[in-house]
Amino acid sequence: MDSPRTLTLAQGPVREPQRLAVRVENLSKDYKLGDERVVALANVNLNIDKGVFLALAGPSGSGKSTLLNMIGCIDTPSEGRVLINGRDVSGRTPDELAGLRARTIGFVFQTFNLFPVLTAYENVEYPLHHLDEVGRRERRERVRHFLDVVGLSDYARHRPNQLSGGQRQRVAIARALVALPEIVLADEPTANLDHRTGRNILRLMRRINRATKVTFIFSTHDPQVIRMADRRVDLEDGQIVRLGVRARKEWRYAFERPPDGDEA
Amino acid sequence: MLRLALRNVFRHTGRTALTMAAIIAGVVGLMLSGGFVRDIFAKLGESVIHSQSGHLQVSRSGFQESGSRRPERYLIADPARLEGRIAAIPGVSDVMARLAFSGLLNNGRSDVAIAGEGIEPAKETRLGTSLTIVAGRRLMASDANGAMLGDGVASALKVGPGDRVTLMLSTEGGALNTLDLDVVGVFRTFSKDYDARAVRIPIAAAQDALNTPGASTIVVSLVRTSDTDSVARELGTALAGQGLEVWTWEALNDFYAKTVKLYERQFGVLRGIILLMVLLSVANSVNMSLFERVPEFGTMRALGDRSAYIIRLVLVECLLLGIIGAAIGVALGAVLATAISLVGIPMPPPPNSDVGYIAQIALVPQLVAGAFAVGVVATALAGIPSALRAVKVPVADALRQAI
Repeated sequence: MDSPRTLTLAQGPVREPQRLAVRVENLSKDYKLGDERVVALANVNLNIDKGVFLALAGPSGSGKSTLLNMIGCIDTPSEGRVLINGRDVSGRTPDELAGLRARTIGFVFQTFNLFPVLTAYENVEYPLHHLDEVGRRERRERVRHFLDVVGLSDYARHRPNQLSGGQRQRVAIARALVALPEIVLADEPTANLDHRTGRNILRLMRRINRATKVTFIFSTHDPQVIRMADRRVDLEDGQIVRLGVRARKEWRYAFERPPDGDEA
Repeated sequence: MLRLALRNVFRHTGRTALTMAAIIAGVVGLMLSGGFVRDIFAKLGESVIHSQSGHLQVSRSGFQESGSRRPERYLIADPARLEGRIAAIPGVSDVMARLAFSGLLNNGRSDVAIAGEGIEPAKETRLGTSLTIVAGRRLMASDANGAMLGDGVASALKVGPGDRVTLMLSTEGGALNTLDLDVVGVFRTFSKDYDARAVRIPIAAAQDALNTPGASTIVVSLVRTSDTDSVARELGTALAGQGLEVWTWEALNDFYAKTVKLYERQFGVLRGIILLMVLLSVANSVNMSLFERVPEFGTMRALGDRSAYIIRLVLVECLLLGIIGAAIGVALGAVLATAISLVGIPMPPPPNSDVGYIAQIALVPQLVAGAFAVGVVATALAGIPSALRAVKVPVADALRQAI
């Protein structure tokens, strides 16, 4: 049963844990900056259904990246907990979290973060070295498949510095998908790309989301990019201020915080 | 991992070259300084062996400690038979008897106290390759009453080749005996103290003057100096229970061990400085490189790599860097050592000596292996703190550094 503060983004009244990719409960994060305490997230509750294409929207400093990092298990909350596929990730060791990330979560970064010494093929192949069960042949097939999905089959031997920004992000998307994760997290995936390339990257991500039912959660502050999502979570000052579901090109808001900041 | 590590090593050729230069300099420095010191040890050892003591000496028990005062008490009665037994041992090149005596040498005007030896001239000529003849010639078997004087003795008496001197000594029975000798040559060893008292005459003349057929010591020359300990052991076993002792050249020349200890200590400090230099240079370079790669390590950890994997990767990279750098260092060191040895380094006479020599750089396998190991281990060690620091950065913070 959801707490009264938990906000759910789902098509219809589905609440079963097995339908949730991510559940965030009472999540808070604060930092100490000198003598000052900075609140990055304040008591956030959120359910994210499997297979959605969700945008975390908001201005800089709103807490998008922090929330994404918590969901990605690369940062730890000050309070609250995160459940991935119904499993609580709090209290796990760094190695356990690394194992969870390797099998469950794919990452796409704003600055692409490809390994400069590896070719596009090797970059895509990289996450598979954690997965002993994936044999050499399957590994080759997967890498080729995902390079094909992102349209870079002809660039397999290219190093990142021989690729354009858009191509690099495509390699990063292929790398995020190759381990067949259930969730792909993308932190400002279009921020370092021009509008046209950014739009194409988002289209590619959405196409993959629809074809594979992999949950995509990406952060952005670009309204053009938000428009391409089918769910949106708007953040301000570390709090959720709006939850939207897109229906027939129109946003329907399941929750909207009143201007004075009172809870719904 | 190896492929990734190898590519990472060469991703910044300039920085890699700089790091390698530090490793190469360290390895070359260790090889050259170590080889130089080893050459000094070897030359000093050979000089001791081939000017004074030979490789081994067999004498009556107690002779080496107290025989200088009463050498007649420690005589080997039948030296020829013992020489024959020793000569049959594998590795032995030559065996010769010496008869020690002490007395006064007189030139008609003044006396000098001497420590003399009756020797077998032909065999001693073969052994004494490090004996420098300052004037005249070496003693020959035909010189029945000839004498070779140490440089210091000749100077003190102001005599030289062609001069006649009188040796006064006590016989085994206590009688005073004199011997007129013709000076045939003046010699110099590496030791001034020895040269100030040394007189060498044919053993037959010494036996005649001392009225004994015996000898004080049997000097053994070996084919290879490195066989000293093994032949000494064999000899000790063969002569057990006969009241005889076997002394190695190192035991006979206490100052050699002290000199080696002194130089080893100095070289140890030098090795420590070089190790520190390599460690600091490599650590600085590796640290800079790893600091720049913090976002990359963050990405690796976000993708599921464990911290231990990243530390291993950095260690493998450092090991590769160390192995390649040390290998180049060894090759360069060998070339330089050979070139320097061909030219030679003129050295002044060591303390307590008048004889200078030409030093070279010895290429000793253990030393080369040690320098190589220092290069590799220092590089690997240098990477560990940086790697530990890099993986301590929280993943989110590491990734933020990329933006």
